[in-house]
Amino acid sequence: MLNRIFGLETEYGLLVHQDRPDHSPTWFAHKIRDHVFHVQRQGVLDLHHRGHDEPPGNGGFLTNAGRMYLDMGHLEYASPECHSLTDLVATDRAGDAILQQAIKDLDLSEQVSLIKNNVDHETDATFGSHENYLVSRRFPFTRRGLAPLVTFLVTRQIYTGSGRVGAASPQDAWIQMDRLIVPRASIGSRRGGPFLPFQISQRADHIVNDFFEWVQQNRAIVNTRDEPLADPNQYRRIHLLLGDSNMTEFATALKMGTTGLVLQLIEEGHAPCDLEINDPVEALQEISQDQDRQWVVQLQSGKTISALDIQEQFLEAAMLHCQGQDEETDWVLDQWTAALQDLRGTFEKLVGRVDWASKLWLLESFREAEKLEWTNPMLASLDLEYHNLNPEKGLYYGLLEEGRVPRLTTDKAIDLATVHPPRNTRAFGRGELIRHLLDCGPSVEDYEPKQQERYFPSYVINWSIFQVRGQAPFPMPDPFKTYVQEVRAHLSRV
Amino acid sequence: MTHITMPERREGPVDPMPKGPGPSEEGGGPRRPETGSPDKDNLMKRMRKVDPKQAERYRQRTGE
Repeated sequence: MLNRIFGLETEYGLLVHQDRPDHSPTWFAHKIRDHVFHVQRQGVLDLHHRGHDEPPGNGGFLTNAGRMYLDMGHLEYASPECHSLTDLVATDRAGDAILQQAIKDLDLSEQVSLIKNNVDHETDATFGSHENYLVSRRFPFTRRGLAPLVTFLVTRQIYTGSGRVGAASPQDAWIQMDRLIVPRASIGSRRGGPFLPFQISQRADHIVNDFFEWVQQNRAIVNTRDEPLADPNQYRRIHLLLGDSNMTEFATALKMGTTGLVLQLIEEGHAPCDLEINDPVEALQEISQDQDRQWVVQLQSGKTISALDIQEQFLEAAMLHCQGQDEETDWVLDQWTAALQDLRGTFEKLVGRVDWASKLWLLESFREAEKLEWTNPMLASLDLEYHNLNPEKGLYYGLLEEGRVPRLTTDKAIDLATVHPPRNTRAFGRGELIRHLLDCGPSVEDYEPKQQERYFPSYVINWSIFQVRGQAPFPMPDPFKTYVQEVRAHLSRV
Repeated sequence: MTHITMPERREGPVDPMPKGPGPSEEGGGPRRPETGSPDKDNLMKRMRKVDPKQAERYRQRTGE
């Protein structure tokens, strides 16, 4: 679709059911990662230092050419490079399946649950779902050029949000003010108001800047880090961390598909103009928290407009300029149209497709049946359970079991994607490498780096290059190219 | 603004997405769980099994 490469990175939460202070989420994360690499042999661990917080053995590439690793104590999975939404949905779900299977194999299902969400209701901690879109190096990566993207991203949450009970007020956030970076707490927070029952986005409260390159205490609507993981003369990677992890396949595909189309509109000079939001960060939070779901924002022109009307303008532009270019584009346009139309009615129409609507419907049903107030802590627990990846427990899987969730992929396709990479991107060549190393390389079962390995690892693998000891480095700068024949020839000489 | 396109795709198309649902009919949308007979409804059963305190125990580090 769209002549574009897509990728998703997911940081998972781990809910520990035991009262064992020594068994922290990070303790379980290590056990699960070790099982995936050492016992299931689904990939090869890094032998080199990838960064100050990624020592050898912290993670590695999988046979499906994605990555699994620990990041800030979280299990994280990065999908391989995908050239279609079909592949993207399958490979994203493959990450869930690999980790959930490891928990089952380890017989840990009663001790820990894998949670695909983005917030900890108690401490205001957040962890992400990161989207990656490959664009041309000539993409207008300036404030002016990115303005339509910011407007689109602020308003797309009405169908991409996963919803949450309550609100966060992260006081450790840092905000850029002119040339200064200041603690959010020092300028006062507009929060601390009345209790908020429910909002449509998990991450909106944690996005405090419009543009910024850091990723922890000052997350931005558009992350500006320039790390293409490809030929930097030809490509740029748009890296977004404002979105929520999605449970429904529909929301995953619609989020990535609509954003891909808007990037195309910007590239081609067809994005709607004069829709710059007055304060995009504040608007992001106001839309998320609007209990009446009117979702009205103020533009820089002074005019007010609803998020739905803004989305309609982007949809109209995409219909005009992108319709008919390929089947996936038309699928996105059809489903975007349907979602916006349904959002003008009652939220129940979106159950099974949009996560916040599915979750709210479950919570309202439970509240009604049990006569609970929104302040009841049970509702935050149900919120978490919506994201539980154990199919026997998770509420999303309950909806699926009841036939209320449309599928965009199949269990068989997901199974295949846990092992095999997409065959039309660079991932194909990398997958060949990982299989070769597993078949012929040093055993990872007894992995304990020898002194020599510390200085001269037998292999080094990164997204856009690899080297096997004794061979020349093998660059893979073009994510659109499979490199598979060249990789096979290269490895035959090892 | 200049016309910008990505490099030409190198491989053939993949399987298309399955057709998704159209807009809901007026009055459409799913049924609510059978709150009148909750024990017969799997969703209500699932929800009632949830540990009410689990959100308090869900302590995660801040990530990216």
